[in-house]
Amino acid sequence: MTDKPLKSHVRPPQDTMPGGAGQGCPAPDAQTRSIWRRIMDDFADHCRARSLFVLHYCTGCGAIELPPTITSRFDMERVGITPMVTPRQADILLITGYLSLKTLKRVILSYEQMQGPKYVLGFGSCTINGGMYWNSYATMKRLDQYIPTDLFIAGCMPRPEAVQQVLLKLIEDIDAGRANAWQDYYRNYDFYLGNQQRLFGAGWNTPTDVIGEARHYGYYGPGTEGEHTRLLAEGGGSAARLAHAEYPSTALTGRIKS
Amino acid sequence: MSIPARLNEVLNELPAIQARPAGARRVRVDVAPQGLPALLELLKGRLGFIHLSAISCVDWIEDGQFELVYHVWSHEMKLLVSCHVRIAREPGVYVSVHDIHEPAGFFERDIHEMFGVHFDGAPSMEKFILTSWEGPPPMRKDFNTRKHVEETFEWVDYRPDWLKDIERKGGGIES
Repeated sequence: MTDKPLKSHVRPPQDTMPGGAGQGCPAPDAQTRSIWRRIMDDFADHCRARSLFVLHYCTGCGAIELPPTITSRFDMERVGITPMVTPRQADILLITGYLSLKTLKRVILSYEQMQGPKYVLGFGSCTINGGMYWNSYATMKRLDQYIPTDLFIAGCMPRPEAVQQVLLKLIEDIDAGRANAWQDYYRNYDFYLGNQQRLFGAGWNTPTDVIGEARHYGYYGPGTEGEHTRLLAEGGGSAARLAHAEYPSTALTGRIKS
Repeated sequence: MSIPARLNEVLNELPAIQARPAGARRVRVDVAPQGLPALLELLKGRLGFIHLSAISCVDWIEDGQFELVYHVWSHEMKLLVSCHVRIAREPGVYVSVHDIHEPAGFFERDIHEMFGVHFDGAPSMEKFILTSWEGPPPMRKDFNTRKHVEETFEWVDYRPDWLKDIERKGGGIES
């Protein structure tokens, strides 16, 4: 289970990330954007903060706090937040409660399918330090080791007031252009992938070409590729990766042959 | 609280069986390992104990034994009988009752994965619900969960630098 050479490395500090200058597209950081671009971005952030779709990934007991949050008593829709059914159409991934290793895999697959900008909220103690499952062999302890997490809601259980509070904080952060954790997944993909491989083994792979996306969106940084992403390359291209990830290898190749 | 006469009659037909009431609608039966299949067969055929609710396993590491508990329910008698057997922890092999109760295959596969007990004649002893698991069966008492967690996961830093800074200035979260 624990592959020794795959121990996660120390994460590079944020401020040493120049935004990938000289390696693919430069990231549009605040200093290099034109005034026109900055005005448009601010306007987009302002609008975005007022219309958010949440995908509730209800893995644990916390799900029961969400119906009152959504419906008439607390009514999230007052602030422009409403539930969404698929990851591809959602802006926020709300992880309620503990994640077993099996569900963590699904969370990562769902997260990678979401379109940026995307925000992750960790709900309850379990996403922070494992909560009451701190010594369980089957549950992960820190969500932010595997996907970048914008905000956590502490508590077991957090009440709907706390959920609202964190959503209001997220709106504030988006409006101010501070909710950029999702870019970190591209800039430091090697760090996140290394932690994922540590749990799921060196063969772990997802169908999403994160490195390609990082290049495309201009978030390629020195931490995007490294010793862990090299293992992906050994697994082959993206088609082979799909077969590698969750499905038996014959599922894909068999169809191509016939 | 006493054992129903019909049940007692059936239990008396088998050797080396101890039975005692264990609450309303519950009877505990202790049986030798070789007698269990016959017991389940008789309960099923004569008294309608057709529903195997669960098989549970207990690791008595100090006694060097696994305890297997077969919970069967009769819709006819409205009674739950728990049949306890003790088997040697090493090599930890027992016989499958899949031929008597079909759902047993599911429970036996689960116990095999969690405790490492092998059931002879079970339809499948393959990996079941544990993901990416190469280690020993995790529910065995000799598996050190805490050690495993410490090797596999990283803990939250409960006293990060910014908190130490605040503490140096006389603040902090501890009273």
